[in-house]
Amino acid sequence: MTGSRKKSADRENQRTSRRNFLKAAGGSAVAATVAAVAVPSLATDDESGQQADKKQYGMVIDVRKCIGCHSCSVACKAEFDVPLGATRSWVEYTDKGTYPNVSRNFLPRLCNHCRHAPCVDVCPTGATYKRKQDGIVVVDAGLCIGCKYCIQACPYDARFLNPLTGVVDKCDFCIHRVSKGLEPSCVNSCVGGARIFGDISDPESEISRVMATNPVTVLRPGMGTEPNVYYIGADHSDEHENKRGWYDVRVTTHRKEKDRR
Amino acid sequence: MHELTWGLPVILYLFLAGLGAGAVTVSGSVLLRKGGFGSSRFAIARCGALIGPLPVMLGTFLIVFELGQPFRALNLFKLINLSPMNIGSWLLGAFIFLSLLYALTFLPPSAGPGDRLRGVRRALAWICVPVGISVAIYTGIMLGAMPARPFWNSPILAGLFLLSALSTGVASIILAGVFFRRNHRDPAVRDDYDNSSYLLTASDALLIGGELIIIFLFLMFAQLTIGDVRYAVNVILPGGNLAPAFWGLVIVIGLVIPLVVEIVLIVPKLLYGRRFVSIPAIEVAIPTAIIIGGFALRYIIVVAGQITAPAAL
Ligand code: SF4
Ligand code: SF4
Repeated sequence: MTGSRKKSADRENQRTSRRNFLKAAGGSAVAATVAAVAVPSLATDDESGQQADKKQYGMVIDVRKCIGCHSCSVACKAEFDVPLGATRSWVEYTDKGTYPNVSRNFLPRLCNHCRHAPCVDVCPTGATYKRKQDGIVVVDAGLCIGCKYCIQACPYDARFLNPLTGVVDKCDFCIHRVSKGLEPSCVNSCVGGARIFGDISDPESEISRVMATNPVTVLRPGMGTEPNVYYIGADHSDEHENKRGWYDVRVTTHRKEKDRR
Repeated sequence: MHELTWGLPVILYLFLAGLGAGAVTVSGSVLLRKGGFGSSRFAIARCGALIGPLPVMLGTFLIVFELGQPFRALNLFKLINLSPMNIGSWLLGAFIFLSLLYALTFLPPSAGPGDRLRGVRRALAWICVPVGISVAIYTGIMLGAMPARPFWNSPILAGLFLLSALSTGVASIILAGVFFRRNHRDPAVRDDYDNSSYLLTASDALLIGGELIIIFLFLMFAQLTIGDVRYAVNVILPGGNLAPAFWGLVIVIGLVIPLVVEIVLIVPKLLYGRRFVSIPAIEVAIPTAIIIGGFALRYIIVVAGQITAPAAL
């Protein structure tokens, strides 16, 4: 399937839609060859003129299945030896209401590997970039100077300055595991099976099927970042709502930074 | 409250780089203009040129050591991209180099309006003015570039930083003038002192007026916006955490009092053609207030941007 489909890479990735791909007639090898020849001349916005199949790794978190056990946070800590007080992956609890009308919802958080990633736009050294081959946003630890501009720019507070290395760190979808065909560590350890990881650009992947057949949301959609981490059944309540004085909202995390940003 | 990602070193840098770039820009413009300042033109230009590079270099030193990896700072110059910090670093590097050269042309004991360095000095002034303005502006663009920081995310911030930079630059030149030019050995400089003082004071009043207009626009539009910006601006409006510092230090001490005093000083000459009399005590007090206000402005804006966030998750 993927062989017969050629996607125009969005070099102007700020503008063109991801779904704006060119589809060759499916199936035959002849069609695939024709497409491979025809596409480069059409896809003028491709940087290299090369037509590699572009993946976009993403995650769906089905919050209804999350039990707030922090297995993902712990697995992530162990996987990367994340220093005390810092988190690449964490879980927030949102408590709402007054007894007896109360609820507690969990919200697992991580870097959204945004399509329009502000962290990439502001990085002055090019250390933060979005990988062309799979859409993962990474930090080149050898290039980063620790200026913290990206920490300011991320609307999700997904980044932190690693006190041990002096450079910025964040979730990288476990590239080292994913490139060997394994799942990210948080997905692997999720006891509720709440996390689904995969290639969103492949309509046949499990994640794409789940996204197509469920109501999904992203965090802070108004920022225009177009996250690639989606939620099913997330409670988007925030402490700001307390100003209305209707019901109480309390967000708790085990991070050093107690406030959600 | 969230831990400050950018703390005092960054705040000091924004303030010092603004002041230094402002002083050099003002110096260059005074040197290049034809009339007005008479024989004190050169003395004023010298003040600004000699003041300028030092705060900028001090500020740069402070932010380099605020980096997580200070010794990698040169990585900034491995490429050119559209990050405001990258462009700003190139500008800053160019500014430090050029403003030092410019300052050097004023150093020889023989330096004067008609000496042999005249051509070089004017050429450097022509370059230092636009580069100085760019350094003052980019700091505002750098903060303003992020939707994740609604308090900063406004094009008007860069304009505010520019005016504040020029105003603190003029203030530092007035301040230096009291100490170095008022009782100058050269009688020509002394004679023109009052006249040049008048021009500096009048320009400063104009800059402060501009700052007040920008702040008014900022507050007004934040109030008229629904959502993130309106929520964020509450920290400096009455009842907000930073309101006392903002209204007390920035608005009253840094802008309104200096503006009123400066207007009272310039009006007799401006409207009625009377002689402008400079008063040393005021010439120390007002620039000091402006400089305090300029620092408070950077402090409050940098902190306010970091303790506020987009309202909806
Ligand atoms: S979530 Fe933050 S760190 Fe991750 S890609 Fe988006 S802006 Fe960058
Ligand atoms: S801290 Fe590192 S990754 Fe972040 S913007 Fe600065 S250089 Fe880029």
